[in-house]
Amino acid sequence: MEKVTYNTNSDDYQICSLFAQSLTEVAVVYIARHIPSNTLVAYKKYDLDKMSAEDAELVQDEVILMRQLNHSAILPLLSSFVADHKVVCILPLMGYGSAADVMLRHFPTGLPEAAIATIMKAVLQALVYLHAKGIIHRAVRGSHTLISAEGNVVLSGLRYACPVISAGKWQRKMHSYPASIMAPNVNWLSPELLKQNLEGYDERSDIYSVGITACELANGIAPYQGVSKTLMLIEKVQGILRPLMDSSTYIPRVPIEGENGADMCQDDDDYSSIIANRTFSNAFHNVTELCLETQDHLRPVAKDLLTHAFFKNAAPPAALPRLLYPAMPILQDNLPDNQEDLESMMVCEKLYSLAIDPVSWDF
Amino acid sequence: MAKGKAGQSWLKGVRVCSIHPLSQECDSEKMPLFGKSQKSPAEVVKALKEAVNALERGDKKIEKAQDDVSKNLVLIKNMLYGTSDSEPQTDIIVAQLAQELYNSNLLLLLIQNLNRIDFEGKKDVAQVFNNILRRQIGTRSPTVEYICTKPEILFTLMNGYEHQEIALNCGTMLRECARYEALAKIMLHSDDFFNFFRYVEVSTFDIASDAFSTFKELLTRHKMLCAEFLELNYDKVFSHYQRLLNSENYVTRRQSLKLLGELLLDRHNFTVMTRYISNPDNLKLMMNMLKEKSRNIQFEAFHVFKVFESRQACGFPH
Repeated sequence: MEKVTYNTNSDDYQICSLFAQSLTEVAVVYIARHIPSNTLVAYKKYDLDKMSAEDAELVQDEVILMRQLNHSAILPLLSSFVADHKVVCILPLMGYGSAADVMLRHFPTGLPEAAIATIMKAVLQALVYLHAKGIIHRAVRGSHTLISAEGNVVLSGLRYACPVISAGKWQRKMHSYPASIMAPNVNWLSPELLKQNLEGYDERSDIYSVGITACELANGIAPYQGVSKTLMLIEKVQGILRPLMDSSTYIPRVPIEGENGADMCQDDDDYSSIIANRTFSNAFHNVTELCLETQDHLRPVAKDLLTHAFFKNAAPPAALPRLLYPAMPILQDNLPDNQEDLESMMVCEKLYSLAIDPVSWDF
Repeated sequence: MAKGKAGQSWLKGVRVCSIHPLSQECDSEKMPLFGKSQKSPAEVVKALKEAVNALERGDKKIEKAQDDVSKNLVLIKNMLYGTSDSEPQTDIIVAQLAQELYNSNLLLLLIQNLNRIDFEGKKDVAQVFNNILRRQIGTRSPTVEYICTKPEILFTLMNGYEHQEIALNCGTMLRECARYEALAKIMLHSDDFFNFFRYVEVSTFDIASDAFSTFKELLTRHKMLCAEFLELNYDKVFSHYQRLLNSENYVTRRQSLKLLGELLLDRHNFTVMTRYISNPDNLKLMMNMLKEKSRNIQFEAFHVFKVFESRQACGFPH
């Protein structure tokens, strides 16, 4: 196959459809057609003018870091350029979106175990590479694992990563805790990272996040949803796990007298019965427990974890589309039809740039 | 106690071995700590140099040469940084390695052939370079002294921004060099420095941003040196700078405006500041920038604009 070069001319990309909006709403992802090669790409647009200088620097760091990484399980950056006051990153189109998207749309009670094995395996492979290069990812989570139409899984979200090599030395322990970086991912982070004490954290912190992500994808709920930050921290530090929910961990809810009946809605019952009737394999339970070990020095590193029986039997990426059915990837012929949203978005942008200018001087 | 002592002498033994790795007696089987193929610094440097030379000649066996380069680079990198399972080598080994690198002129050779080295190898070159650069003996920095005698290294690195595939690697090395005043001085006063005005505006965002960080580092890191440079080259620098402020590229405009504010508000640059604000054209430019639609540009322009105003309030001639 001929290698396509993605140039930095914004006229070469035709925006077709709206794809996703990032968590913090600084970035919008469109599906665009690269006209010279007639291929679909993801067109991620950061509006720098709405960002503070520090946030803009994060975008810069992310772009520079992505350019220096080359691994099959890490989202590659095809091109990046400035158009008006926006920075555009051209990325390969990941047909299924993120694992968290697929889960929210099609698997409200969690992805099948086989799919999670394949996803986790790819994430760990990406982490082996990153850790060997001296980079801690710090934001492993369901929404940062993207799945292509062919079933390949890649890790994204490198905006939050930090290099271990600084001052010409390989730092054994990291201590940096930039609040703005951590805030959106706090529920996925490891206890030693959150504790912010002198002991610091190292690359094993990412393994803990892998464990949390596994629970997220298996249970169908974002971790610590609706739990206060303080309680979340206490639970993590004390090693109280929120385990994979299946028949082995399911505790039938005893109706308490005086409890408001409205709480026990139908959905809740459905969810409970699904949990009570499914059983995850022992290997899966074991692997998440290893990942969620509270003491970081007892937690395995990514390389060792990959030898675990759970990943030996993981299905190859090509099997992922079958496992994710009924979720369908976005391809050439089924672009999501959201022209109205797209148009309203474009109009908003136009209005913004038309803003009437109250001052006027002319020299 | 006795145990501790034994442990110490054992460690000493290892050190001695690693200095004389050629002596057959203390080879790998006795000292498994350093793995099976512990080459001496001289050997690794020699092997790497040969491989880079082969790569440069572009023989038929180019892939093998590339492999050899990558392999030896990893060896050197692991000596300097250690790996996740092993500590970096002792100071003596590192000193030997550095000496070999200087004597063989390998640093320049690596940088000149950077575009021929494979993707991961390029990053390894940067990491080896940055580590060696930081070497200190007391208050001396031997690598900095070495590069001062070989300024081609710096010029080749600055030229790296011309080539997409090595630009970012050269950038990390250049910023590390810019930390040292002697090296920053060579770079600032070279003709190549003015190429940065072009590099910061290239269409690829990542390279342009990286070039801008290097540019900013050179103009702000060493206050006295920078002030002297700006005064000496005022006309040339600011006529180039004007172009950045009027750039089509939003990011260039915003970054250069912010840097201008920082430069003018730095008290080391007092002379430069008075000269800048005495030109009415500059005031006009800032007032026009205050009208820009972008709030961030307005904000940064205001920081520069206030310098004009506060000076005027002090009764400074305009």
